Amino acid sequence: MKLSAFKAALLGAAFGLAATPAMAQTRVTNQGVTATEIVLGTHQDLSGPIKVWGVPVYAGMKQAVEEINAAGGIHGRKLRLIAEDTQYDPKKAVLASQKLIEKDKIFAMVGPMGSPTVLAAQDILFDAGVLQLFPLTAAEFTFKFDPAKPQERLKFNNLLPYVESTRAGLKYMIELKKPKAVCIMYQDDEYGKNVFDGFTLQLTAMSLKAASVTTYKRGASDFSAQAAKMKADGCDLVLMGTVIRETIGLMAESKKLGFAPVWLGATPTNVIEIPALGKELVEGMYSISAVEIPYRDTAKGKVKIWADSYYKTNGSEPNTQAVIGHNVITTFAFYAELAGKDLTGAKMLAALESGKEFRDIFGSPPTKFSTTNHLATTITQVHIVKDGRWVVVKEGLGF
Amino acid sequence: MRFTFKTDYDQDIRIVKHGGYVWSYGVLLALLALAPFVLSSYLQSQMVFVFIYAIVGVALMILTGFTGQASIGHAAFLAIGAYTAGYMQSKGIPFVVYFPLAAVLTGGIGVIVGFPALRLHGIYLVIATIAFGLIVEEVLARWESVTHGNEGMRVKALDILGWVMPRDGAAFYVLTLLTLVGVLVVALNLLRSPTGRAFIAIRDSETAAKSMGIDLAGYKVKSFAISAAITGLAGALFAHKMSFISPEMFTLLLSIEFIMVIIIGGAFGLHGAVMGAVFMVMIDPVLTELKDGLPGAAGRFFGMAGMKGAIYGLIIMMFILFEPLGLYGRWLKIKLFFQLFPLYKKATFKRQKTYVKSERNR
Repeated sequence: MKLSAFKAALLGAAFGLAATPAMAQTRVTNQGVTATEIVLGTHQDLSGPIKVWGVPVYAGMKQAVEEINAAGGIHGRKLRLIAEDTQYDPKKAVLASQKLIEKDKIFAMVGPMGSPTVLAAQDILFDAGVLQLFPLTAAEFTFKFDPAKPQERLKFNNLLPYVESTRAGLKYMIELKKPKAVCIMYQDDEYGKNVFDGFTLQLTAMSLKAASVTTYKRGASDFSAQAAKMKADGCDLVLMGTVIRETIGLMAESKKLGFAPVWLGATPTNVIEIPALGKELVEGMYSISAVEIPYRDTAKGKVKIWADSYYKTNGSEPNTQAVIGHNVITTFAFYAELAGKDLTGAKMLAALESGKEFRDIFGSPPTKFSTTNHLATTITQVHIVKDGRWVVVKEGLGF
Repeated sequence: MRFTFKTDYDQDIRIVKHGGYVWSYGVLLALLALAPFVLSSYLQSQMVFVFIYAIVGVALMILTGFTGQASIGHAAFLAIGAYTAGYMQSKGIPFVVYFPLAAVLTGGIGVIVGFPALRLHGIYLVIATIAFGLIVEEVLARWESVTHGNEGMRVKALDILGWVMPRDGAAFYVLTLLTLVGVLVVALNLLRSPTGRAFIAIRDSETAAKSMGIDLAGYKVKSFAISAAITGLAGALFAHKMSFISPEMFTLLLSIEFIMVIIIGGAFGLHGAVMGAVFMVMIDPVLTELKDGLPGAAGRFFGMAGMKGAIYGLIIMMFILFEPLGLYGRWLKIKLFFQLFPLYKKATFKRQKTYVKSERNR
């Protein structure tokens, strides 16, 4: 009797295996969705080394949540966003993720901040069947997934990855300026390496050679050696895999040396802090970007309303980071709306993978996912600093 | 109050001093062993971090608490242990081999660093260990063929001869607990051996220890190596718990956290290492709990960005100012207060050491 029951179970299992296609079913949680609300979680760096990013991103997210709730929510359900501060510490990110999943019962993790923090915590989410949506790191592991591992299907990203955007932006600039000697200076870390990889790939593709490659350590403040070297190597187009302070520091140093190539910054330089702090030093600098930066006084329509309301609640000018935070929530809301009235995890995943396009209010390239592609877009723009503001030079770039 | 009637010299160095030890620690162990079946994986995860921090705490306790040599470079040893584990696992070497090897390798590096560094005293030694920490961080970022540089390294789930232990599972919890208990037992035995006695002699007075015939440099290196090796073990567990390691995880800040473990716990007993670890790991979730649990303005107060850091810093300052003996010191005082009630006198814990001045001319 016992044996036959066992046999039946085995048989059932065998049938089950045979019936399932090569791709096993992805488990998606239904927790956090009630008749009245949808609970979302995020972990941010609100008081650590990259809070310049974390704080405005979170402010942007909060504002979007309030807007959506004020408009009646998603099919009548209000959004509730719970944030934890990780201070960019992976250990805290692991604990925060477990807390959000188990105690707060979040439906999805939206816009978590940072590469090491997201990576250390992501399989906790997958094991629990919680979607990891639009983390704030453009690294490959946030969207590339192995079809053999069904839980990995839970990750989606809508940021512009460094490698692809660098390639697209550099290609455009080389065609535009026809430089003789293309050079790069990049930050000696994961981010800088991504920019360098994009640089190398694109130059190889265009059968060019790098005239000069220099690096600096994160936190460096003196760039005289790098500037002198690039000048000596005769660079006339310099790609900068830098962030804010280093960009301005390098350009100030070069000005002293009388070295004036065409400057092109990678996506992290495309923030309002660069013209705000660099003033006339950064005039005429180009940068690679994903989205047009909204200015309060020139913005129109929805963007204007958004920018004014952001300024009112936060007392600071809206910036790229806030735009990204806003888009994290509005993108989620769009697909949750699409998933229908009786929202479940499986329906949410299906909606995300449906291939329906989401367009944000800022005029970014459309967001679109499929069953095989979980990266929203690689379409790039190039901006220039004109009279202390970022102005779009060209959009819709690829490589 | 209990009075142990001593009939044998061995009783002085016995680990289990009296029956109370057996049942109290027995109950504690039983509770800890039951924990994974009762607690949620969030709490269980915190406990695992407590155990890992406690292992490092024990290591630092041997070096700082018992030998008197400060180190702000232990994150580097943790990193070496972690990367050894990650690299060897990716090369297909089994856990039973690379786990002890992580300790041996880290200990070996401890010896190499220890020889020049331990000829330095006090603040200079601290500077040397900071420098060592920075060098290791830099090497991890540069040695890309092994460490994958700044991209970091994924670490697969722990696998003991085919038995896979997911990092949030009960098996992993028990393994970390056993490692901690093992390390504690080793440390207890070490401290009652001639080596341990020599460590304590060096801490109390180098001049006195030297005149007793203790080879200062030799014992300091030994202490450094043992401490490093234990940290290496913790590193291997840390790598598996995090599932991803990158150089920016092993910064000076982490070393300072480890030093805080023993300062807050009380840098004079192994209890202190464990208590300090509990404090350091749990303070953050507790403050999170306050943020979520308290209603209205109080909750918002704890939810303010950076508030956790401020409160955390305040608590540490309070400890250093008002309770330099740490949590364990406070516990001993409370215990004694009730045992001697109403005869407790404050002077019991006054520092007795009076030969500090002679240390000036060393």
